[in-house]
Amino acid sequence: MTALTQDLPLLSLVAFLPLAGAVLLVFMPAGSVRAIRAAALAVSLLTFALTLLLFAGFDGGSGLPEFVERASWLGRGMDYHVGVDGISLFLVLLAAFLTPLALLSSWRAVEERVKEFSVFMLLLQTGMIGVFVSLNLFLFYVFWEAMLVPMYFLIGIWGGRRRVYATTKFVLFTMFGSLLMLVAIFVLHAAHFRATGTYSLTIADLAAVPFAPGAETWLFLAFGLAFAIKVPLFPLHTWLPDAHVEAPTAGSVLLAAVLLKMGAYGFLRLGLPLFPGAAAAFSPALSVLAVAGIVYGGLMALVQKDMKSLVAYSSVSHMGLVMLAVFSLNFEATEGALYQMLNHGLSTGALFLAVGILYERTHTRLIADYGGAAARMPVFAGLFLVSMLSSAGLPGLNGFVGEVLCFFGAFAANKTLGILSVSTAVLSAAYLLWLFRRVMHGPLKDPGDGRLHDLGARELACLVPIVVLIVYMGLFPGTFLRKMDAAVSRYLESLRRTSAASLVLTAPAPTGPAPGLPGGTEL
Amino acid sequence: MGTTLALAPLVSVTAGALAALLLEAFLRRKGSEIPALPAVASLLAAGAFAVLAWGDVPPVLFGGRLVLDPPAVLLTGLLAVLGVFVVLMSLRYAGRRGLDLGQLCGLLLLAVAGAMIMVSSPDWLAVFLGLEVLSVACYALTGLERNDPASSEAAAKYFLMGSFAGAFFVFGLALLYGAAGSLELTAALRSVPGGPSLAPAAVIGLALILTAFFFKIAIAPFHMWAPDVYEGAPTPVTAFLTIAPKAAGLAVLFRVLRPLLEQEAAADMFAPALSVAAVLTMFAGNLAALRQKSVKRMLAYSSIAHSGYLLVAVVAGDGPGLVFYLAAYLFMNAGAFGVLIALAGDGTERPSLEDLAGLGRRDPWLAAALAAFLFSLAGFPPSAGFLAKFYVFGAAVREGHLLLAVAGVVASLVSVAYYLRVVVVMYMKDGETGIDAERDDPALYLVVFLCLFGVVQLGIWPGNLLTVIRLAFN
Repeated sequence: MTALTQDLPLLSLVAFLPLAGAVLLVFMPAGSVRAIRAAALAVSLLTFALTLLLFAGFDGGSGLPEFVERASWLGRGMDYHVGVDGISLFLVLLAAFLTPLALLSSWRAVEERVKEFSVFMLLLQTGMIGVFVSLNLFLFYVFWEAMLVPMYFLIGIWGGRRRVYATTKFVLFTMFGSLLMLVAIFVLHAAHFRATGTYSLTIADLAAVPFAPGAETWLFLAFGLAFAIKVPLFPLHTWLPDAHVEAPTAGSVLLAAVLLKMGAYGFLRLGLPLFPGAAAAFSPALSVLAVAGIVYGGLMALVQKDMKSLVAYSSVSHMGLVMLAVFSLNFEATEGALYQMLNHGLSTGALFLAVGILYERTHTRLIADYGGAAARMPVFAGLFLVSMLSSAGLPGLNGFVGEVLCFFGAFAANKTLGILSVSTAVLSAAYLLWLFRRVMHGPLKDPGDGRLHDLGARELACLVPIVVLIVYMGLFPGTFLRKMDAAVSRYLESLRRTSAASLVLTAPAPTGPAPGLPGGTEL
Repeated sequence: MGTTLALAPLVSVTAGALAALLLEAFLRRKGSEIPALPAVASLLAAGAFAVLAWGDVPPVLFGGRLVLDPPAVLLTGLLAVLGVFVVLMSLRYAGRRGLDLGQLCGLLLLAVAGAMIMVSSPDWLAVFLGLEVLSVACYALTGLERNDPASSEAAAKYFLMGSFAGAFFVFGLALLYGAAGSLELTAALRSVPGGPSLAPAAVIGLALILTAFFFKIAIAPFHMWAPDVYEGAPTPVTAFLTIAPKAAGLAVLFRVLRPLLEQEAAADMFAPALSVAAVLTMFAGNLAALRQKSVKRMLAYSSIAHSGYLLVAVVAGDGPGLVFYLAAYLFMNAGAFGVLIALAGDGTERPSLEDLAGLGRRDPWLAAALAAFLFSLAGFPPSAGFLAKFYVFGAAVREGHLLLAVAGVVASLVSVAYYLRVVVVMYMKDGETGIDAERDDPALYLVVFLCLFGVVQLGIWPGNLLTVIRLAFN
């Protein structure tokens, strides 16, 4: 394995194979729909296979990035620099795993402009993977922004009735945050130059640059705003229900499963390690927002009439828990946040796929239009239920592991918020099971309606892999958590070390030392 | 050769202009495309001469009135490329609209010659000469379409406003000469060696000259003429007007202002004014563009906003960033107007947004090209527009103009809204009534393709150009 991975620029292959596939698709005749679908699926499956090689070859013992590739690109610190560590590896896997399923799920749903659709999906995949593997801030920003374009088209062309409104809102919201982040990147670039006399945008180098506390606060806020919009953290979530409801199924799946994770990943990779002092100072406030999101998202999900917006609000609630765990700044919570990110990706992805499957049959997403569907679709009902229970955190499934870790960590950081965060388990059980009862149980809404037939082979191929993984991750979390351990401890250590360093470096400032970590964050 | 190389690009372009005009006069057949031949050849020759002149010891002529130093070589090259693009874009367009291609090429080459004088002279009087050659040729180009009232109105407006600006320039020049006793661009700085501030007459003179330049390159609040002129002029001319005068004017401003802004007293006086002008321009252009229904007018306002971004590079003293931005802007803006020319095939000179409805379906390649240019203008990575903004705003932050950079990115966000609106119409609205593109125009499509190539290449792999630009300013 090592011999193989040493020769191959594996990570670049993973990141750019979808792009190459997209370029290939552009030159295929638009009429040959079957060939285009097959080619897109093949490219994304091949990418997934390569990420499995990545997974197998990943050691994770040191906590340092592996599969590192570095080449000079634009000069002045703007280098091509990629690698994966325990924090990013699984997000890469998640993106590579879900893209083929999302493509597969659209074989019936997307009949128009299949070529463009497949091209944008593959471009999106390159963007998503690129964000997670970038070790250079410039590269990270390029992927972060570039990825908006395919998503913009996916929602805007293949979306629902209010798609143009939703996609414009999505792009403008996200760009607002990321453009302020861009200014912060300039400041970092200049600060590194001033401190060392050389240009660098390597994330690890930037973490060593000292700032005055005031500057650090502003920089953290600029980065934090970009990430908080993406997560989305309450009250910046308003773009999310619109985007989700209007997006096509495949877009919703990737939006919920991968794009939202970028926000949380941004905090873990950049927001907290680069500005540990400001991060520690703002963590309590951000934790409160996260808990507000948990409760608000859950309550909103309870009253939704549309299945898709119910799942969208459940995302707000679940990502609130992830963010609470991220801001708890301890080992259990951070590992829980990472695990919960994967869980949420799988379970919400599955839920959106399931809603899409129902919608393809009846062309309605209103809960009130359904009833007793389980009688006609028993296999679907089973898979749907497992995905829901995973989302609700049933013991034995993956959601339980992640939630428990998050709760433990959140309790250690702050008792009150920890207790409030448990409401996510209660609320999600309530809105999901109530949804299940209304849609799947009870008398059949329209007994003469023959549209509700059970799953075909293609739909099974979409849902079964996710459900299998949900069960596996619930039973054997160690397979995944062990590869994260070293990277997470390293990350927490770097948080402390750099915040201690900035204490020393900022000590002469008249405003006094930056606040250290708050009391309840011992490991 | 030696020092005469400094003159070679100018001579070549002027000879091309005369040849094109004469061919037009003596050719029997009207509507012939032959005058474009000497035009393109002379522009390419000018570019080649400029490249030959590249070196550590720049060729100097006329007692230092004409210096082809590396930055001037770069800008001369850019102007030559722009000239070739515009000629190629006009080939069939002129025939379709009944314009004299010979006149168009001749005037265009004279304008290019004027711009080349501006970028390669350290002398105010020569700069003025270049500016007037450029301007007079541009007035005539704007009004070339005599049957179109909008075109004539634009030419009249442009001429009046331009003349005012010229008068300001000359008056400022007189004051400056009186104060400094020299016509060198940076003479005002030496008027008070080691003194705490500039002489008052020099300050007023410089301010008047700046005003004149702001008129010419459409910097707010002196941009009012620009949308009407850009919209009224024939589209290939608009592509030229939105790029060449800005490139030449900003190059001069950079030469003058960079040493000026390095002096503390002068910087205190001029940097805030320039920053305010840059911010005003970015927002005036972008906010007005938001409300436009006509795509051409929208692009006109967008080009005003881009003047603002370019001015940020001048304020930050970032020469490489300025030239890179100009190169990127050349490709994306010329490309966008090129697509508009293709769409003007059936006489829709100024298409409205609705006219583009469903273009993504009817003509996927052209729509994709326009979308790429718009995304680049909006500054999405990985396009040339993104990298250009990255360099310019990055330099602004490095030089301590943080608020200027913040204003720049917020203005970019505003611009995303209207650029995306075009994309929305092309891809997300269906229209049966929309216009169809002209297909029989290989030269135009070559230009669009080259622009697309430039936008992508400068965005992803600008290696060589970047190296050359950095070399030029070291």
